[in-house]
Amino acid sequence: MAHSDRYAMLLSSLPYHGPLFGAKQTPLSRIRLNQRLALLDPIEADCLRHARRLLEWAQQEPDRTDPQAVVRAQQVIDGITNPFIRDLVTWRLEMRTLIAALRRRHRGESAPRDRRWGFGRWVGRIMQHWNEPAFGLERAFPWLPEAERLLRRGATVDLERLLLGAVWNYLESRSDGHYLDFEAVVIYVLRWDMIARWTTYDGADAARRFEELVEQAMAGVEKSLHPSAAAPRLDAV
Amino acid sequence: MNEFVVALGWAGLFSPMALGAIGSVIGCAVAGQAAIGAMVDTDSGYGRYIGVSVMPSSQVIYGIVIMFSLQRDVTPVSAPALFGIGLLSGLALLVSAMRQGQACASAIHASKTKPEIFGLSLAPAAIVEGFAVFAFVFALVLAGGIPG
Repeated sequence: MAHSDRYAMLLSSLPYHGPLFGAKQTPLSRIRLNQRLALLDPIEADCLRHARRLLEWAQQEPDRTDPQAVVRAQQVIDGITNPFIRDLVTWRLEMRTLIAALRRRHRGESAPRDRRWGFGRWVGRIMQHWNEPAFGLERAFPWLPEAERLLRRGATVDLERLLLGAVWNYLESRSDGHYLDFEAVVIYVLRWDMIARWTTYDGADAARRFEELVEQAMAGVEKSLHPSAAAPRLDAV
Repeated sequence: MNEFVVALGWAGLFSPMALGAIGSVIGCAVAGQAAIGAMVDTDSGYGRYIGVSVMPSSQVIYGIVIMFSLQRDVTPVSAPALFGIGLLSGLALLVSAMRQGQACASAIHASKTKPEIFGLSLAPAAIVEGFAVFAFVFALVLAGGIPG
């Protein structure tokens, strides 16, 4: 069978995902997706697993420093044998570097002096053009000026939509010419991850979580102000 | 030299059948896998998917017919014509079957999500079939004029 048709069965067994922002839930569950992905060649499955580990926020170690994260990302990318996946992952990490730079500048930070704060080919250029709204990269990333404007306005939901939309469109452009091959599987899975992320966003849940965090913080403050009040009461046991 | 020309003639005689069979194998395998995948994801319309997936099998039939129409004594006079017509028509059948398999796989993939486009999604596969028929018909026409 031709190399480009190897995954005809796998791709046909995956339901159509539809547009990102209209989705109410993922087109199939994570368990079913993993069952279907068992049809992948082991080496290619490994490449995909590495890429997802690097891109999924839930799989990131929060206490890792930026230089450590950059070194780790480079190691993982070097281990990915498929050039298509390597390109996709590199593009996503470069995009995250751009967003990180926007956020740093928004917080009032000056240009980093060490190049290890970000990933990819744009790090030096961002540092050189730190004070330009889009770091002089609006041609390469047409969504960047809009992202900067939304960040400045504090419109975080709109910013998230813009960024997810940019990634979605990028995946769309990279899917040209890939219909029944491994690259088409990769694009489907990365889109599935995006839908999973978007559909789990819940305003009510976020408000509840925020209240829990505030209560925890306030309990800590009360405990330090009134140590006797915080001691367990015997009649409460 | 004559032996070599005769050998080419025999190769040309069997080419439409062999190349058509290879193309049908590849095309049916691709479309068949897409059909199996679609059956995993849907609860009905299985027969339609299987029916579409066997479309690329027609090329091997065309190949067999061309082979019989070319069949005659292979001599240094007839061998070059057998080689040319047989090989080229075989190649046309091979490529058309492979590509038709991809077109069928895409049709299955698309009609699984939107059953209402089932008929229309088969148009590219039908057009590819049309080109295979051209190669088939004109191979038969030319076969009638082979000397010897």
